Amino acid sequence: MSLQDWKQHRRPFAAIASAPLFWLVLFFLVPMGIVWLYSFGQNSGPADIAITGTLDNYKRATEWLYLSIFGKSLAVAALVTLICLIIGFPVAMAITFAAEKWRPWLLLAIMLPFWTNLLIRTYALMMLMGSNGYANRGLGALWDGASWLKTLVGLQPLEAWAPVPLLYNNFAVVLGLVYVHLPFMVLPLYSALDRLDKSLIEASLDLGAGHFRTLTKIVVPLAGPGIAAGVMITLIPALGAYLTPDLMGGTDSQMIANVIERQFKRANDWPFGAALSFLLIYAMFILVAIQSLRGDRKKEAR
Amino acid sequence: MSGIENSGNLRLGRRSLLQSLGVAAIGISLGGLAACGKKDEKPAAGGTTKIAPTGEEPKLNFYNWDTYIGETTLADFQAAGGAAVNMTLFASNDELFAKLRAGNAGYDVIVPSNDFVERMAAADMLTPLDHSLIPNFKNIAPEYTDVAYDPKRKHSMPYTWLTLGIGYRKSKVNAVPDSWKVLFDSDEYKGRIAVLSEAGDMFRLYAKYLGKSVNGLTEADIKTIEAMMIKQKPNIKAFHEDNGQDMLLKGEVDLVLEYNGDIAQAMKEDDDIGFVLPKEGSQFNSDNLCIPKGAPRPKNAHAFINYLLDAEAGKKITETILYPTPNAAAKALMPDDYKNNPVIFPPAELLAKCEYAQYNPKLQPLYEEAFTRVRAS
Amino acid sequence: MALFARRPVAPLEYTRKTWMRLWVGATLVFLYAPLLVLMVFSFNDSKRNVAWKGFTLKYYEKALNNDTLVEALVNSLTIAALATVVSVILGALAGVMLWRFRFPLKGAVEGVMSLPIIVPEICMGVAMLIFFAKVDWPTDLPWPLNLSAITIAHITFCFPFVAMVVRSRMASFNREQEEAAKDLGASEWATFRDILLPHMKPGLVAGALLAFTLSLDDFVITFFTSGPDTITFPVKVYSMVRFSVTPEVNAASTILILLTIALTAVALKLQGVKGIAETH
Repeated sequence: MSLQDWKQHRRPFAAIASAPLFWLVLFFLVPMGIVWLYSFGQNSGPADIAITGTLDNYKRATEWLYLSIFGKSLAVAALVTLICLIIGFPVAMAITFAAEKWRPWLLLAIMLPFWTNLLIRTYALMMLMGSNGYANRGLGALWDGASWLKTLVGLQPLEAWAPVPLLYNNFAVVLGLVYVHLPFMVLPLYSALDRLDKSLIEASLDLGAGHFRTLTKIVVPLAGPGIAAGVMITLIPALGAYLTPDLMGGTDSQMIANVIERQFKRANDWPFGAALSFLLIYAMFILVAIQSLRGDRKKEAR
Repeated sequence: MSGIENSGNLRLGRRSLLQSLGVAAIGISLGGLAACGKKDEKPAAGGTTKIAPTGEEPKLNFYNWDTYIGETTLADFQAAGGAAVNMTLFASNDELFAKLRAGNAGYDVIVPSNDFVERMAAADMLTPLDHSLIPNFKNIAPEYTDVAYDPKRKHSMPYTWLTLGIGYRKSKVNAVPDSWKVLFDSDEYKGRIAVLSEAGDMFRLYAKYLGKSVNGLTEADIKTIEAMMIKQKPNIKAFHEDNGQDMLLKGEVDLVLEYNGDIAQAMKEDDDIGFVLPKEGSQFNSDNLCIPKGAPRPKNAHAFINYLLDAEAGKKITETILYPTPNAAAKALMPDDYKNNPVIFPPAELLAKCEYAQYNPKLQPLYEEAFTRVRAS
Repeated sequence: MALFARRPVAPLEYTRKTWMRLWVGATLVFLYAPLLVLMVFSFNDSKRNVAWKGFTLKYYEKALNNDTLVEALVNSLTIAALATVVSVILGALAGVMLWRFRFPLKGAVEGVMSLPIIVPEICMGVAMLIFFAKVDWPTDLPWPLNLSAITIAHITFCFPFVAMVVRSRMASFNREQEEAAKDLGASEWATFRDILLPHMKPGLVAGALLAFTLSLDDFVITFFTSGPDTITFPVKVYSMVRFSVTPEVNAASTILILLTIALTAVALKLQGVKGIAETH
């Protein structure tokens, strides 16, 4: 596949590119540009910022304290993405290979919970997971059952059930984030898998490859772009999550987005908040740009 | 149902009547009129304050906290001849401030806390109040009429006050936790404690525990307190976002750092919950009615603020929100179980040890950064 | 895996495999259990979602009589619908642009395009707040024009998601089809409409779903772009549950969920289930 050079197709290129580029510049780059300028400023009053060209905000943002929080957030987000991928891939496969009449319903079933407000969903999840929540009660009942079974066969009963701390720790944050971000993974995966040439899979199975081998050698490589999109669409919002760690996390569950949020709100330090945000943005931007350059090279080399 | 329709007609009729006669100038109280018009089993107006037409569009944008107004207050205000109030809600002072910082999108009355009144006044974000339009200011108890955070009440009118203390589950504590020590410096209740996530409040309360003024912290103190917080962190279950009463009710924790009004509400639902103001003293807060700069309808705003300070209206508000009221006239109308409630009105000798937090632009970022370090440690 | 199959299953009928069904079932339980609890507790006769105290419908009455809540809901749906339509158009164009053309600074454009996804919400919210304040965007327009600021902000963070999905979808497009159509004399536009668009459709559907969801659920950016007359459902709910979740919010959410199910069911029936599933 070769890319078209825009110079040879000026009119279609203009027709396609002008609207999104215009929107992006006016309603995104301009507003963000103002905040970018703030990152080189300092507070000159409770509601005033003087843009002095200082780099102090960036110096502070690259201190170990903030870098370590950033690293931790990235690890959490990566873990969440991985879990979403593991859960979401079979689900996306199931939807793809479901009977035609079931497909839209399955797709809807995945999306529907996400038309309920995030905060309400988070609170509902917290109700389930609390010390006296249903998850703990269910586990408690199982425990008591096991204890009863043991006495039945003449063994010592288990010790009394103590609720498992499911909330207010890092486990809760990961679970909450997986819950929130799962459809972001399933949708792009489905959209990529759906167009897969199914005869390739059949051929692979006919030729004696097992399901697992077919999956790793045929399905995953072919669904590559979809997986990449799913990973991006899950990883990045997970990295920017602040509500879930705030509400479900324990004393050490803060993520970088919580720190950034506090700069814009409680600390009232917009310049520093801007610097932290843009540090995050620079890192991502470089990543995406490199990836796209490499992708283009590879295509051209072919 | 017909009663409601009737009162609706009555309301319309009375209002146009009032306007045409200019009754406000003559000074017949609405309460009296309502009594003539209809038996006042459910008075249309919640207060006795008269509201003269302001000449502005009869509309008002009120930016308030949730569950922070009487159930019928807004309707009563309109029924008494006031503007139609459109109430929208914010969840924290920081949000309020961040949102109004860049400009006022049309809010007429806002309810910031004391230190934010100070901050917003310093940032020139508040319209000075015209006291001649707020005669009900006379209802305010004297100790709230001239405060350090707003000398001579130039920008704000007190709406409620509150204080931080320890809410606890009576059946789960060994003794009444009447010292900050149990929250800040002890493993007695390991893993059963939730404290506030607001850095400034936390540092100031530690100051109280250490016997200092909430406004007298130095950078060295912040270092000391930070170390204490890191040491105490394993004993803390969560830094809550001002929903500590819920965590207490659900049994997630047994001790929680919260505002007395919130715990008073929780105590109504669960007898096993108690509240204590620690013996070292605590921090006062007060929420205030203000008019932001650029408010489109300042006259309506003044009329509304005046109405909220009315004795009868204040009583209705207080009945719903159960916070301590600075409105002496409204408090006088409240039943004894409110007035004598030691949670809502803690003993005077303890209140004497409480202080208002001042807005401190220098220390606030230090608190924040230290607290970020505590969380990251 | 085949161990679990009790009767012959065609190789590609993954959905008929027991482990696959269990997996999907478990995922759905995970997704729906909290919602079920939420719905059950909307009938709870207590001011808080703590313990079951008895059955009541009063919170439904309260939610439906809460004019501002209903108004917020209408605003949210309006914004989400508008934002989805525009985002799908812009996102599809952007996706095709990135997939099809080589142009200078493409890496940069691609990076910028993914920025709305990367930027922390609060940072973008503040940027929008300052932007609309600086350009003096009118705030007292009649409905629905007063929603314009929020809608614009939503489109900005939604359409890159659509672009991303569309682009990954286009990667599997067989270019020869297009060339064949052109060789047979189809115009640029006809090729787009008859060849590209049908291929893109699942990507567009997925993108639209994403955009709708994101817009409907956004709180932070909306908070900073809303005014006193333009409250959306999440903004309203956020301020209502910040201190305590009341059954009233649960009731409103339950109504919303049931309404969504009903509307989509009707849409699917009208459209014909095939209409949406049609991808081959």
